[in-house]
Amino acid sequence: MLLAGGDPRRKLDVLMQALDRLDIAVFLTYLVLTLIIGAIVGRRMHTGLDFFLAGRRLPWWAIGFSLVATDIGGTDIMGVGGATYNHGIAAGNFDWIGCVPVMIIAAFVFVPKFYRMKIYTIPEFMERRYNAAVRVALTLCWLLFMACNMGIMLYASGKLLEPLLGLSQSQCIWLTAILVGLYTFTGGLAAVVYTDVLQCVVMIAGCLAVLVMGVIEVGGVGELHRQVKEVRQKKIEHEQQKRVEAGDAPLPSAEVEHLDLVLPVNTRTPFPWTGIFFGLTLILSPAYWIGNQAIIQRSLGAQSEFDAKAAYVWGALLKNLIPLIIAVPGLIAVVKFPDLQDGDQAIPRLVAEIFPSGFRGLFVAAFMAALMSSVDSYLNSATTLFSHDLYKRFLRPDATDRGLLAVGRATTVVLTAWGIVFALNAGRFDNSGVYAIFQTLMAFFQGPALAILLAGMFWRRATGAGAVVGFIVGVAVSVSLYALNQPAVYSALGWEPLFQIQDPYLYFSVWAFLTTMSLLVIVSLLTKPTSLEKLADIFDKSS
Amino acid sequence: MTPLHQFGLWLRETLMQIPLPVVRGLFVAAIVAVIAWVWSLPRTQTEPVDHPPRWDENLKWIATAALGAQIVIYCVF
Repeated sequence: MLLAGGDPRRKLDVLMQALDRLDIAVFLTYLVLTLIIGAIVGRRMHTGLDFFLAGRRLPWWAIGFSLVATDIGGTDIMGVGGATYNHGIAAGNFDWIGCVPVMIIAAFVFVPKFYRMKIYTIPEFMERRYNAAVRVALTLCWLLFMACNMGIMLYASGKLLEPLLGLSQSQCIWLTAILVGLYTFTGGLAAVVYTDVLQCVVMIAGCLAVLVMGVIEVGGVGELHRQVKEVRQKKIEHEQQKRVEAGDAPLPSAEVEHLDLVLPVNTRTPFPWTGIFFGLTLILSPAYWIGNQAIIQRSLGAQSEFDAKAAYVWGALLKNLIPLIIAVPGLIAVVKFPDLQDGDQAIPRLVAEIFPSGFRGLFVAAFMAALMSSVDSYLNSATTLFSHDLYKRFLRPDATDRGLLAVGRATTVVLTAWGIVFALNAGRFDNSGVYAIFQTLMAFFQGPALAILLAGMFWRRATGAGAVVGFIVGVAVSVSLYALNQPAVYSALGWEPLFQIQDPYLYFSVWAFLTTMSLLVIVSLLTKPTSLEKLADIFDKSS
Repeated sequence: MTPLHQFGLWLRETLMQIPLPVVRGLFVAAIVAVIAWVWSLPRTQTEPVDHPPRWDENLKWIATAALGAQIVIYCVF
């Protein structure tokens, strides 16, 4: 999920107070089932290929579920519901046009190409197309992002479990990390994918229950539509009145935007159509579904090329459902609790209020499932990146497949330990803005990474030098645009903010992509073309 | 006001001239274009090649269902 969610720390407090023994029993059952699946799958681990790519034995349906589960993090369930409460159904764009079309294109163009090349990682593809420098740059970016996000997810799970289990936050972080680390250590990608299936089913069941019971509670779909419009109209009129009294400029748009997916450029929300179309649909979404190691690794472990493609198509079909079950409850909360100060409290309040005993536990399990499915994926993919793109490539090129299995497991232990240390210290970042930067990290290098990937696949004249220069400058442009939009920076320069929306990462990814692509073209044309032998691997019709 | 700001404002003003129904049409047209492209693909790319495909193994239909749902969604909301 590409939508930057809010801080997950305090979101579930209200829900936790409403849990009883049956809820906790449902939740614990889910955790035990996860461990059992991980243990069963882990018995088939004999080689590095088994560990990193599940022995290329994964069926399409399991990969499809896993793609969706990995994409939806725990923070997204609260974040999208909260964003919908605050800004409307436009938050659903991230799972609709921000996923479905590009997943279909990826299924028939990119996934088969990667599958036939028998690569383990996207950086490996980059070296085969360009050079080792591009591979290292991309590996380091992904490792940094995955390691930090893993820590943040563990921190969120500690906050969630603390009131539920009656343990301290530190103990809960240890517990989650050991649980996820254990089945990832024993079962590698296969355990990650099959536990993701359970996690996806639990997540969909929990969120679907919220949707159905919520719609019944407000009197049906038609009534929901009418009441959302009415509540929001009153809020906007009240806000306009307050601005007039304070002598401020009126709102740029006084229309009710909560029920529209396509919003004008001057919308009050962070989701103008320009950002959704140019930033999300054309840049961030392809970068995520084609170039994200944690996503693409599943399809590389498919039992056949057809399964790899079918998984993406099945995932796209499932994706249509996701905003309905995680965004629409945000609209229900608009009707039920029109005056919440923090939109992220919308879903927990709704669940606490409308769910009977047992169902609340199902929702908490759904939230935990979403968290765990992201942590295990980052853990396994970061392990694969380190083992293949750094260890085997630079330290031990002669490493055997069994040796790589040992390295993969050792790396899993080290990364789990890192995640625990990070999560235990994450509380220090709470109010410093560092948390928001971690959430934006991916947007810094996604645009440039997509540019070099596309040029590498479709333009023979693209060279390694062009890719390196384009990537580095593109990331620098992303970071600069982000910095120039921070109040402390633009105030010090005596400037106005560069972008007129609150969180413009959709926009700066476009500029970073364009910068990278332009530089890549210029430098490539000025440098020696790549040899035809090297390109045969990429442009040969059979590969 | 830097040249960057001036360029940004010009771009913003230009894009604001495009009516929202046209934008919605652009979203739907993009999805329709992907459906048309999927149907133009050879069968070897959308069906298994190692055995005769069952009725549910034609990915063109599943892809069309996924994208068709998108068209409905973007026409309704």
